[in-house]
Amino acid sequence: MSGQDDGKERYIWRNPLSVWLDQGGNDEVPTIRVPDPKTVWEKNTAYKVTTHKVGRFKYYHKWANHGERLWNRLRWWPTRRSVLLIRGLYNRKTLKAEKLIVDKRPIYWALALLFLALAPLGFPESLQNTLLTAGAIFGIFAAINVCWTLIIGTASIFSLASYAVVGVAAFLTSWLSINYGLPWWLLPPIGMVIGLVFGSIIAAPAMRLDGFYYALLTLGLNELCRVYFITSKEFGSASGGLYGADSYISDQWAPYTQSLAAYYGGFMLLVAALFLFRFINGKRLGRILRMAPEKREAFAEATGVDYRRARITIFLLTSVALGFIGGFYAAHYRGVTFSIFGFDTVLLGLAMLTIGGIGRAEGAVLGTLIVVMLDKVLVTLGPFRHILIGLIMLFVVLFLNNGLYGMKKQFRAWRDKKKGEWRSTRTEKGGEALPEEATEIDDKDELYHRRFDKMQRDYLKGLVCDEVIEEHRRKPLGQHSEALERLLLHFRRAPQVDKYAIHREGFGGPHKIVAFSGNRGTSPRLVEDREYATIEEAYHGVFMRRVNDLMES
Amino acid sequence: MNIEFILINAIIVACIYGLVAVAVSITWSSLGLINLSYGFIFSFAGYGAYVTSKMISDHPVWVTSAGILTGAVGGILICAAVFIPLHDKPNFTIRGMTATLAISLVGSQVLLWWFGPRAKSLPEVFGFWKISIFDIVLTSDKIGIVVCSIVMLAVVLLWMKSSRRGLEIRAMMMNPHAASIVGIGIRSTGFYVMAVTGAMAGLSAVLLSQTYYISPFSGLVPLIKGVSIALCGGLGSVQGAVIAAIILGITEALTANVLGGQYVLITQFLVIITILIIRPRGIAGILDKAREQ
Repeated sequence: MSGQDDGKERYIWRNPLSVWLDQGGNDEVPTIRVPDPKTVWEKNTAYKVTTHKVGRFKYYHKWANHGERLWNRLRWWPTRRSVLLIRGLYNRKTLKAEKLIVDKRPIYWALALLFLALAPLGFPESLQNTLLTAGAIFGIFAAINVCWTLIIGTASIFSLASYAVVGVAAFLTSWLSINYGLPWWLLPPIGMVIGLVFGSIIAAPAMRLDGFYYALLTLGLNELCRVYFITSKEFGSASGGLYGADSYISDQWAPYTQSLAAYYGGFMLLVAALFLFRFINGKRLGRILRMAPEKREAFAEATGVDYRRARITIFLLTSVALGFIGGFYAAHYRGVTFSIFGFDTVLLGLAMLTIGGIGRAEGAVLGTLIVVMLDKVLVTLGPFRHILIGLIMLFVVLFLNNGLYGMKKQFRAWRDKKKGEWRSTRTEKGGEALPEEATEIDDKDELYHRRFDKMQRDYLKGLVCDEVIEEHRRKPLGQHSEALERLLLHFRRAPQVDKYAIHREGFGGPHKIVAFSGNRGTSPRLVEDREYATIEEAYHGVFMRRVNDLMES
Repeated sequence: MNIEFILINAIIVACIYGLVAVAVSITWSSLGLINLSYGFIFSFAGYGAYVTSKMISDHPVWVTSAGILTGAVGGILICAAVFIPLHDKPNFTIRGMTATLAISLVGSQVLLWWFGPRAKSLPEVFGFWKISIFDIVLTSDKIGIVVCSIVMLAVVLLWMKSSRRGLEIRAMMMNPHAASIVGIGIRSTGFYVMAVTGAMAGLSAVLLSQTYYISPFSGLVPLIKGVSIALCGGLGSVQGAVIAAIILGITEALTANVLGGQYVLITQFLVIITILIIRPRGIAGILDKAREQ
């Protein structure tokens, strides 16, 4: 039990009844002062979590609103699609009408594209040429990657042959342009046809193979294309590629105009690819496939979704787009080199997708921006820039679930997990119901009783000490000090089930402690073999058992 | 060109690429990791053998064991960098594959920066001698390559069949979840698997360098060929990989003889695609639903 220096205030209690002669209690005993029961209540109900002023609430800016303006939305003519998804609501405190922009992505896209469109005005003089060239490359590669993310993300076909489609279209259109003198504006449409044909050929195995078998197969196909084009004489095995196709950038223009035309050409291609992404991923085909993600195809099929057809359709549409990009590539660079088929190109492309996050247009664009900037602008770093790109890719893959754009979701999931962990560390379980249990219990009175009982027991535990026990041992009956009186009142209120009682075996026999069963007709059970000579000793034995039970609860 | 000569070449190439294919296959089926960094391990082991031959001794035993050892070290490195942190994370398969690709990107660039772009050659491991059977002249390196790769494969298969660790690996192949429940350490098994498969890639690097040179990107072709053979044979099946290696070797020999060298890859891929369309899980296709994650 407790020692002398346990923070309890001790004093000598005098029995107020002793003036009326012997009333059965102690006359004078040392005991402790009873603390205020409110202290336990306050300690139990206190909010013990450290709180910070910043970041406690979600903060969204609310725009002022008028009741009728909510219906007066800006829409894309001639459809009924609204430009921004806006929700009207009333402020809970002030009851003012407010507007909340639910999806801000269109705003961010518009700002980012505006920035890209105006960026050439702000390029520094010394880096102008490098940045314009890199910008054109960025536009073309971002367009390819947006299409690729449609295949990998939306259609869930893990194809690594996207650059092969672009390369084949570029090579064939350059060859046609060089040998038959086709004008530049014919190259992209011809590329589309080539893309469709090549896409149909590589789509055939995709219907049977799944997942990574297909990925490895397409990796091989890419290598096959590389070896075929490198070894064939018509496609310039000697000169390292094809040159001399017609281009939309005229030779007669000033070099700066040429670079500028190349930049905006790439930019327009990117915008077109983004529209394609929006119209496939955000409309019927994309929605069908959101119903049938990986490993849940069977469910989608059972509900009548023909996901295979949708996937192949997306694959073919995207191959056509990739063929278009191939034709554009040939018209942009006046030809094409073998590096488009290289393993490094596929690797860098995959790095772009993974860094940004697969399955999102913004991920593809941001990843391309990062990789192209590292690869083309920091040329002075030499081979280190590829090492840097590889390390960024490795970092992203190791620590992020779905690229940079998956960070928000991942962070929220992590924060919720931590919240749960912290809450579980500060929840005390002493007979009190946890919030999740409480919803299962119908009798709410029971919850309050358990809560009260827990605090009551916490309070009474603080009263048990050597003095109180000694006081009870000396005189179990009669008037007691307040601390002992409170303990005894609690013990007396115990329910009948397992309540202790004293049993005497015949007149003059020893006393034993039994416990009631709580059922009529079931005899009490003996709780210990110990025998007490006198009834006072037995009273004290029952008291000690109850004190033990209290301290262990 | 006579058919025997091409056939023997095809068998030799199939032996070397077969080692990589079996390595890819074992890694996939036991760890669920598509390791596309065998190309890097291949070059890494080649350079390890090269450095040993220059620095320590160019005795064949030294060179070969150095290649095998650096291959195993490369495998362990990749296990520690990719498999250990990623194996219990969401999207493990795709992230594991991407991470191995990232490692091969970084690794080849580091090799390029350290050793320079010039190709290196290894000393002749098998000496210079010839043997003639039925008018076919077999040179020492050809016999050595075939014997070495078959011995390596046999040793690995025997180890997997008879040892305690091999039992653990086979249990992981059948059901990784159940294997971890009965007390097989996924991480320690990962290290064994990656070390052994890395050693196989290392040996194939030493063997292939008898014919070709070592360069930072020389691992790409063996990787692509190995992966194709493993695909065709069915990922996870050693027998399937062996059969596929023989089929693809014969295809290569016949194509080179009948149509010409530049059509080799085309016919090979046509054969692979045909086989995969008929049996989507490869020739063996035993692990139909065993490895889902």
